[in-house]
Parts: sequence; C-alpha cells; structure tokens
Amino acid sequence: MIRRLLLLLALAVPAAAASDLSADALLRDHLWREVRLAEPGFRPKVGLVLSAGSLRGVAHAGVIKVLEDVGFPIDVVAGTSMGAVMGSLYAGGLPFDRIWSLASAAHVGSGNDLSGRRLISLLLFDQLLSSENTEKLVGRELGAMRFDQTRKPFACVAMDAYTGEAIIFRDGDLAPAVRASMNLPGIFRPLEYRHRYLVDGGVVDFIPVDAARLLGAEWILASVTENDFTASRPKSVLESLTQVIDIRGSYLSRDQRKQADFLIEPPVGDIGMFDDKRVPEAMEKGVVAASKRIKDAEESLILASIPLLSASWTSAQASR
Amino acid sequence: MRRACAAALLLLLTAAPARAWRLWGEPSDKKIRPVQALHDANKAAEVVAALTPQFMQTLRGTDLRQAYVLLGEDLFRLGRIDQALGVYQLGVQLFPKNVDLLTRQAGLLHAGSLDEQAKVLYRKALDLEPKHFGARLGLAEIDKALGFPDRAAAHYEVALETMEERPDVWRDYAEVLLAQRQFKTAELALARTLALKTNDPDALVLLAFVLRARGDHAGAIARLDGALAHGAGVGARRAKALWLLEAGRLPEAEAEAAQILAEVPGDAAALWVRARTRLAAGQGVKACDDLTLAAGEPDNARFSARAARALCAGIR
Repeated sequence: MIRRLLLLLALAVPAAAASDLSADALLRDHLWREVRLAEPGFRPKVGLVLSAGSLRGVAHAGVIKVLEDVGFPIDVVAGTSMGAVMGSLYAGGLPFDRIWSLASAAHVGSGNDLSGRRLISLLLFDQLLSSENTEKLVGRELGAMRFDQTRKPFACVAMDAYTGEAIIFRDGDLAPAVRASMNLPGIFRPLEYRHRYLVDGGVVDFIPVDAARLLGAEWILASVTENDFTASRPKSVLESLTQVIDIRGSYLSRDQRKQADFLIEPPVGDIGMFDDKRVPEAMEKGVVAASKRIKDAEESLILASIPLLSASWTSAQASR
Repeated sequence: MRRACAAALLLLLTAAPARAWRLWGEPSDKKIRPVQALHDANKAAEVVAALTPQFMQTLRGTDLRQAYVLLGEDLFRLGRIDQALGVYQLGVQLFPKNVDLLTRQAGLLHAGSLDEQAKVLYRKALDLEPKHFGARLGLAEIDKALGFPDRAAAHYEVALETMEERPDVWRDYAEVLLAQRQFKTAELALARTLALKTNDPDALVLLAFVLRARGDHAGAIARLDGALAHGAGVGARRAKALWLLEAGRLPEAEAEAAQILAEVPGDAAALWVRARTRLAAGQGVKACDDLTLAAGEPDNARFSARAARALCAGIR
C-alpha cells in the first residue's frame, strides 16, 4: 500500500530537470561570463531604453528585475514618460527592491495629481492638471540629484509644445526633467522649464533609442510597453485622448524598434493607460517576457562583443 | 421507537462491511484492486481496456476517484495525452476537491506549457492541502521557468518540509538558490543531496557551478573531476574544458578538448576551446579551421555556430 502511495506521489510530481550541459548552453554560459567581466572597450557600451506607456510602463520594473538577476551589464539608461520615471530611479541607484515596491504601489495619482476632484475640474472648467507629483516622487526617492550624479548615465525625453522638438535631457536637475517627460498633453499643464514649454516625450520619442545613443550606447536593449489600441474602444473624453496618444506612439515606435539591437516586449497592450488595478499583472508580465528572452539577449550581446573580446584573447595570451 | 431505530441503525452499520454488498452490489474496492495491480505492473493498455465507462459506472467514492487517476496516468503512459487531459478534466469536475486529480491535470497542462491554467489548479490543490508536495513542486517549476526563482525557492522549502528524503528536490532547490546568488545556501542544499545520494554526478556538477559563481575556479574544476569519476557524461568534460580556459590553464584545456573530440567529433564547445588555445599560440589560421568546423553548414543557426563564425571573422 505504501509502495503504491509513493508511486502515485512520484507520478504527481513534475520531473526534475537536469542542468543543461549541451555545447550551446555551456559555450553561452562561458562567453556570458567573459562579457560580464570584460573591461570597458572589450564589449559594446550597453544601453537600456525604457519606452513610454503610462501605467503599462511598470512592466519595465519586471524587465529590470530579470536583467539584474542575470547580472546584465547596463552602462547607460534612457527613458520616456513612465520609462523616464523607472529609468531615473534605476540609473539614480535606488535599490531594486525599492523600485519594485514603488512600481507595485503605482496608481493613477501616484505620479500625477489625478484625483476625482481634479478630473472634474479638468472636464468642467477646462483647467489642465499639474504633474508636480512626479517631480516630488523622484525628489523624495533620489534627493536633489542632478544628471551628472546618477550612478549610470541617464537621459530622458520631453517635447517642446511650441516647436514640436524632442528635447533630450541629460544634464541639470533630474526631477523636473523626468516630470516633463511624463507630462501627458491635454491632461497636464505643459511645464515651463529651461525656456521650454514641455509635454510628454512619448508624443515624439516613444522608444528613446536616440537618447541612449547620445549617451554613447553601442548596443541597445529596449523594453517596449506599447498599447494594443485595436483591443480597446474609448468610452470617455480622457480615454479617447489617451488612445490617440497611444496610436501616435505606436506609429512612432515602428521605426524606433528597428534601431534597437534587442527588444523585450511585455504583452501589456491590453492594459489601459490608467488601469492601476492591473499594475501587479503588468509587472509580472515584464518578468515573464524578459525571462523568456533573456538567453537570446545574452547571445545577441555576446555575438556583438566577440570582435572586441577576441582582441583581449590574443593580447592577454601573448602577455602571459 | 427512537431506541429501536437507533438499535436497527447500529445493527446495519455493524453488518455493513461484510454483508452490505449483497443489498447494493459488490463494494467497488474489490473491483478496482485488479486494475490497480495491472497499473502497478505497468500494463497501461490493459488498464485502459479495463476501465470502460460501463465499469466505471459501477464504482463509487474513493475507488471512482482512483479509477480516474489510473485511467489518466495510463493514457498518458500510452502517449494519448489529449485523452488523459480529458479524463482529468472530467475527474476534476466530478471531484473538485481531489488534490490527486487536480495536481495531475495541472501537471499535464504544465507539460503542455499552459502554465497559467496549471497554476490555477495547483493553487486550488494548495487551498485544500497547503503542503501538498506535488502542487508545491509544480508551482516551483513554473515559477522557476517564468523567472521568479525567489517564489520557486519558497515552494521548494515547503515541499522539503514534508519530503526531505528526495535528493533531486534538494538539487532543484539548490538550482534556484544559485539563480538568486545565494551560494552558501545552495551549497548546503547540495550537501543534503549528496548525503542522500552519495557522489551523485548531477549534484556534483551543480556544486561545481555554485563554486565557480563564487569565484572558486579550482574547487569547481575539482568537483567536475569528481562528477566525471562517478559517471558524469561528456557535458561535464565540456564544462571542465571551458572553465580551464577561463582559468588560463590552456594546455589542460586543450587536453580536455582533445578527449571530448575523441568521443564526440565535431563538438562545437571543444572546437571552440581548441581554437582559443591555438589563437593564444598565434596560430590564427588553425584556430579559424577549428571554428569553421564548429560553424558547420552556413545555415546552421545554433549559437555555437554563430559564435564560431563571429570569432573567425574577427580573426580574419
């Protein structure tokens, strides 16, 4: 009887997987170690680009978690809108647990003043809202940090509402620049900062690959949290407005995604711009999407690094 | 009157185990027993043939539940996975609180990469039996695959509270600890594996990975030697060759690569090691020859082939 029970129990249990000792897996593991330990100049400078996407952008936290878990070397960070918020906290050196905790608690009012009273004010009296909570959030977590004080070089993008230009911030105070980057037009008052009239950068630079290149990135991994606008029918003025912004972002991202060397796209397209109930789901989707792609990302970076690493293999051996 | 009823009921209950089947048919326990024996003897086709719908209609309670379990398992053994899943689905509908059926259905879904659905069933099983070993291990595997080694570790810990004699589970637990860079705890878990299964080559190989991650290359290579001495396959030797290369012990790396190539001609990892040692010796042309061999046909898209092509192009 006991033998039978044990047999049944064994059958109910998933089979254990052995370590992968194939030539491909071991060679990848070996070369990944070489890439991680490589001195500057012996691998490409790696940029992490975090797209716009409002609350969907909390999925970036999941992507960052996986990158941190595998020790992915990230040299520079660039972000737009929610990507700018997450990117600034990461580049600013905030412990990852804190980033995860902040992302988990994200809701429509955490970065921006979107209380019911304010929304009524927006709709009835045509008064745009203030996005100052974003600045407060970054200021509270990182202090009065400037771009040149971040642990990793960082850039974020906003748009000048007068000229339509994409403004890439990479110097000066961090918090107001991040606020400008996440300043949805039509909902929040444009921010007057450094003689510019600034709104959300997602309108002109949804996946800020160019910003990362400006920081010197030679190989770029982009986390993209694009909306699947075909899946939703806007039912209100606010939803219509955000849908139009999303559509614009999607069109922009078509070309930008080609400029990245590697893409991770958490499937969060059906999550609404302000759907804070689905924040934990978005974060989990970020982890799952990144986990599924991380080996491919490692391989891509290894292959890009081999021409540089091979110089060290010959020179290092010659010096021995 | 009440006393008389109670006495009659008592009499009935006392008599029931031995005589009751005469009133409402043979107790099903006796019917399932021969089928269970066939199952235990790995006679899957005979079990499936025996468990006809007509036969199952005659079963009750525990035995009917067991019949669904046996039918599902033996259909699975026969490779009739869709049918096995159908049986489990029906069984779970009839017995939604049966953890055996829940975990088996979940296991099949997990094997088919339907992890979201599998998770729901495993969680239902845990609601009924919070320390259910199979459900914990199933969830651990799913969490590990999805990129949540911390959650996987938590499931393994609960599972090991109830089944601490399973060396393979200690090893899997060590693997997720390694993924979280908890090297010391991973070593302790592997020590448990090795205590339960002395010189287990898989555990020794994993221990080697832990030591290497901690920076103890010499210790790692010694563990690989241990694994090779106890029957580890060519994979362990591949790892050894590559790690000797990492440690700058080039002649030894080349010797290991030669051994691998004697066993597996054209092994891409071994050719890579040999190419690197030749490159270090200034023999770029010979290194490229090895890499060309490792790359194979031009349409070979394996990582090792692409890496070989990239290095060869760099050398040229």
